[in-house]
Amino acid sequence: MADPQIPSIATMSVAASALRAQQSRMRVIAENMANADSVSQTAGGDPYRRQVPVFSPTVLPDGTKGVAMSRVVQDQTPFKTEYRPGHPSADAKGYVKLPNVDPLVEAMDMGAAQRAYAANLSVIETAREMQSRTLDLLNK
Amino acid sequence: MALDDIPLFSMLKSHMGYLSERQRLIAGNVANSDTPGYTPQDLDNFTTNVGSTHAAPLAMAQVTPALTNPAHLSPPASATKGAWQAKPNPDSETRMDGNQVVLEEQMMKMSDARMNYDAAIGFYEKSLNMLQLAVKAPGK
Repeated sequence: MADPQIPSIATMSVAASALRAQQSRMRVIAENMANADSVSQTAGGDPYRRQVPVFSPTVLPDGTKGVAMSRVVQDQTPFKTEYRPGHPSADAKGYVKLPNVDPLVEAMDMGAAQRAYAANLSVIETAREMQSRTLDLLNK
Repeated sequence: MALDDIPLFSMLKSHMGYLSERQRLIAGNVANSDTPGYTPQDLDNFTTNVGSTHAAPLAMAQVTPALTNPAHLSPPASATKGAWQAKPNPDSETRMDGNQVVLEEQMMKMSDARMNYDAAIGFYEKSLNMLQLAVKAPGK
């Protein structure tokens, strides 16, 4: 792994851990979006439950403090129901439980993930430019 | 005589160490911009004592031995003294989940650190040129 004694390399590994975390978040968002219409396999059963990624500060293998998606928790918001008596997942009264996924909320989350990803990329870019400025001293 | 014996050079060197360290902290803040309950950190303003033989401390040169056995002695105070101290420094807003990072403010701090770093490199370069001018044979 990178040498944490060199701050600019430590900077990049911290930002890279954030890029990884945001990618995992995007994966969870994609799962939610994809399953926005996934209903139960059995009659009257529970449909897909929305997943929420949780981030926490982590000490990286090289000793610097970065971030990681520590766990994915289930959203406890109640399911929506719809009256569809003919549906195979409908319960005795004819109601089908639909996932508690709101595509608008997912789109907002996706925007936030994208913004955070871009911010971390610009941190890497800045650290790289600072380092290359220093290396340029050798060419003088 | 080492280059560090010239006060300007040692000051610039410690300033660059300070800025790299600050950059590393900002990277950690940006990485944790979605971590619930996270408080961003920052360093105090850069100060240096130009006249002293040992100008401002060099964060980069800090090496703390790992204490793997209870019989190990902790490093002397002088080894830990002088490293730049990271302090909690919340941004202007706190989110509902207790996160106190405002991405825009972190980006401003990052550009600030970078501009100062560029300035320090510029000074370093010019001073080196002056030294080269001084050691050049006359008329060449």
